[in-house]
Amino acid sequence: MLWRCCLVLIGALCTPVLSKHLSNEEFREQVSLQTLQDGRVASTFSFNILLKDATPREPRTLIFDDESQHYNLFPLALGQILREYAVTELHLTLNAGKWNYDSWGYPKERDVGTGAALWAWMADGGPTSIDYRWQGLRNALAGLFCASIGSLDEQRTTSPVLPFAPEGSLPDWGVEHELRHASLASEHVCTENLTPFLKLLPCKSLSGIASLLNPHRLFDADWHGMGLHVLWNPDAGVEVRLAFQLVSDPLRISAGKKQDWSFSTLFDRTIERTCPVAQSSIVDVALPREALYNISPEPPRIDQNVAFYDLTNMSEALDVKLKWALDFTYPLDPLKITSMPISVRRTLQGASQDRGQLSLVIKNNAPFPLQVLYLETMPWIVQFYLHTMRVSSDTSGDDFISNISYVPSVPHSRPATFQAVLTLPTESTVYLTIDVTKAFLRYTEHPPDAQRGWDLPPAIILPLSSSNAIRSEFVGRIYTPPLLVDLATPDFSMPYNVIVFSCSLIAFIFGNIFNLLTRKFVVVRLGSQQGTSKSKHD
Amino acid sequence: MSASQEQETPLRDPASTFFQSDRVRRLIIASYWVVILLATPLWWHTTSIERLSLPTAQVQYQAKTLLSFPIAIRLDPSLVQDDPSITGKLQQFFDTKGGQWSGLSIHVEVGSEAGMLSWSAIRFVSHESSRLFEHPWHVFLPHLADILATLLVPYSSDPDREYRIAQYSPRFRLSFTLLNEDAAAGQVITGWDLTNAIRHHVDPIVTALSILHNFTIESQVQFHAPLAFKPQALDNESFGLTPEDLTVFINSAEWTLSSSSSNDPVLHFVLFVPSSVRKPLVILNPDGSLSHSNSFLIPQWGGVMIYNPSDDSSPHRYLSSADLDTLFPAFSNQLLALLGVPGLHADVRISPDDNSLLSDWQLDALLRRRAFENDQGAKDTLRSTVKLVDQIENMPVGQVVRDDVWDALSALKKMHFVSANSLVETMRLSADAATHASRAFFNPGMLALLYFPPEHKYAVYTPLFASAMIPLIAAALREFLAWRRQHQQVANT
Repeated sequence: MLWRCCLVLIGALCTPVLSKHLSNEEFREQVSLQTLQDGRVASTFSFNILLKDATPREPRTLIFDDESQHYNLFPLALGQILREYAVTELHLTLNAGKWNYDSWGYPKERDVGTGAALWAWMADGGPTSIDYRWQGLRNALAGLFCASIGSLDEQRTTSPVLPFAPEGSLPDWGVEHELRHASLASEHVCTENLTPFLKLLPCKSLSGIASLLNPHRLFDADWHGMGLHVLWNPDAGVEVRLAFQLVSDPLRISAGKKQDWSFSTLFDRTIERTCPVAQSSIVDVALPREALYNISPEPPRIDQNVAFYDLTNMSEALDVKLKWALDFTYPLDPLKITSMPISVRRTLQGASQDRGQLSLVIKNNAPFPLQVLYLETMPWIVQFYLHTMRVSSDTSGDDFISNISYVPSVPHSRPATFQAVLTLPTESTVYLTIDVTKAFLRYTEHPPDAQRGWDLPPAIILPLSSSNAIRSEFVGRIYTPPLLVDLATPDFSMPYNVIVFSCSLIAFIFGNIFNLLTRKFVVVRLGSQQGTSKSKHD
Repeated sequence: MSASQEQETPLRDPASTFFQSDRVRRLIIASYWVVILLATPLWWHTTSIERLSLPTAQVQYQAKTLLSFPIAIRLDPSLVQDDPSITGKLQQFFDTKGGQWSGLSIHVEVGSEAGMLSWSAIRFVSHESSRLFEHPWHVFLPHLADILATLLVPYSSDPDREYRIAQYSPRFRLSFTLLNEDAAAGQVITGWDLTNAIRHHVDPIVTALSILHNFTIESQVQFHAPLAFKPQALDNESFGLTPEDLTVFINSAEWTLSSSSSNDPVLHFVLFVPSSVRKPLVILNPDGSLSHSNSFLIPQWGGVMIYNPSDDSSPHRYLSSADLDTLFPAFSNQLLALLGVPGLHADVRISPDDNSLLSDWQLDALLRRRAFENDQGAKDTLRSTVKLVDQIENMPVGQVVRDDVWDALSALKKMHFVSANSLVETMRLSADAATHASRAFFNPGMLALLYFPPEHKYAVYTPLFASAMIPLIAAALREFLAWRRQHQQVANT
């Protein structure tokens, strides 16, 4: 009895100590699972690390030695990069696959553009320019995440402030903050990017929710992507959100037509141990609305048709199972039941390696007119003929496009930024076409596997919140799939043969002309047959 | 007969057209050659590699010049009043040392403090003089010589210790890491009061060595740090690390210890908390007995300490400043060893009224050692650079490389100049020289054409040049012979 009292006393004494010392850093983890219309399951992992009362580094202090960095939960490797380059806000996404908005709806993590995308808000006024720090940041992150972010050079860097407004706050240092954005659609995301990602988590993938992140299953999914978001909130501090999102298909692995899933079928793992330093650790499962189902274990809390499991007081391994009573039937017309207010299709037309036409088709599914911001950040290898832009609609009227801003590209150095506001009438489709020319590249500018073509970054459609009656959940960026452009490509396979052939040709032409110029023409007089033979006999 | 044929053919004799005259044809051929000759320098310029000449002779000369520090040892007149021959004996002792004392020219004399240079003459006061001087001179003298030798050249005695010392760098990162082997298994150390521990145990060292290095201090806590091997289970429910285990203890694949944001060398200090199922974890001696130490040093990398928290504590534990006070002295000792700070002779103490951590003797010995290290490093690097450039004819040498080599040389020259006056300045210049020399050696521009041998060049040029040059040469030759024959005919007639 006495022993038990002592334990309680010790516990009571320890708790305030613990909360006091951990109070300047907080770690929360959550995974949300949601069954999609087409039977797939979207899982969104979100790991939040909060560094309380911290502020981003002011660039003007870069001339001095930085203060010591002491972290308990916050990843030191990331903290060093953020402070070294005085980054106020940072977003990095690495996604693979095409997010199917029409049947999957809006993703929980909004930024699902294919490939790598990096954007950062940085203040001016330091000893080195923003562009210099942006370059350092790219290289540092490329090293940290083993991704080719380093190649997001000035040929891919733009500054589209409107669609990439800061998500946190920007400190008021009396200097201007600037945005740098770059994307690389051809980046392949795989396990070498996940390993460093997991190392940034306090519990890695050894305990807590992150233990579900099994690379064999994650990269087998229909869609997967990871994100790193750093922002500053004056009331809270510096916040880091590490997110992993995947869409897996239980129908593919099930023998029948059942869309049942569990942690063990989706991830081949269960949550066996809690992360001891997580302040909150929550699994939430969106329950089906119009179907008979069975969820096990019994959720302790259900709120608005979402089941919540709290892992902090978990006693045994958690393996959430969701079972349906009936077989899954495919929806026949996915577009009819889409929850998205708009559907976008973007294509690059034309078969030649010289010219083409970019075409954008936006359909407004909502019963009210919509205004959207349309952004193209096009590498200089595809150049727009702005005067050929045509905008039309299947309904009457004009003025579908307004507020055009265009930063033309500079060959070999700067991409083009095209930004416009499109007005979409009620339940109608707007067509936009623009002629483009494809660049002829220098020999050394071709990437490896040049015949495959170049990936063009996705276009971004941002529904403007000022539009009437639009729901607040529909204001995230919509990414179109990337495009592939086929540029004139030389034959890289036999350069020496090419050299020999072309040199022979040049030498042949040279020899002929030289011969013509210097040849001495003389009239050779031939005598009669007889005369010749006579002279021979002589 | 010919006249009749001329009448028959209405064609003009092609030889009579203006461009068939010998003069024009020769002009055409000559102009080709003129163009080729004029273009050759341009071609040469555009295809040649920029190879600026390096000061080879100066580098060789510097490599032979040895750095030397004059050290004057002045004995207080009161010491030698009994036996004036002690000065000579001491001098003789140092003179015979030779070899390992290279670089120090020691001069023993008698005199007072007055008139001494501020740094080179170091006052030697024995705090135990009362006891020491009771010995007769023949006992005291070897002892004194021994003490002086340890103070002046503390490194030469133990090559093992020498090997531990991290290479000189103007800035070090000190990275303190608290590693929980497996926090989810039970007990977890959630954090440590590092700020106070650093203030008490690390900051004094950092301040004392501020003339040598700058330091960046950082720390992190990790909650899962699995080992790459299984520690050996011992009889008494503890687990042991054999000396072989210690060599693979650091699991750099799983532990995120190194940082990528700067090139400064990092010294790691790891406090390892074994998993609660594998506790206590102890270090074993080579013979299998328990080692009384719970920490070990990894040469030039850092130090590791194993901390076995007591069993009765709560599942979450925070290491307070008091807890760390028992742990951090080991880290500060490791830091001193890694930075090459020599220990004092057993009979020498720092004066109690001097509250600095290091005596001037230690600091000077360290400065001299670092100066020698940098000087040798800079000279070796310069020599290698020159040799490499000599050997590889395709290696470009740009302005930047040449400037760096010259800067390194001038720093070395200045260093020799000031070495008799200021130890700190010598050390600074030697570091400068080493930095410039290694920057020249690692200049990325020098790699540009390393793997483009001349054979490749000829392979690219011959298909064009050979086939174009042959008609040109043939035409020139034929024309020359024709001209000579013509000339002879004219001369003959």
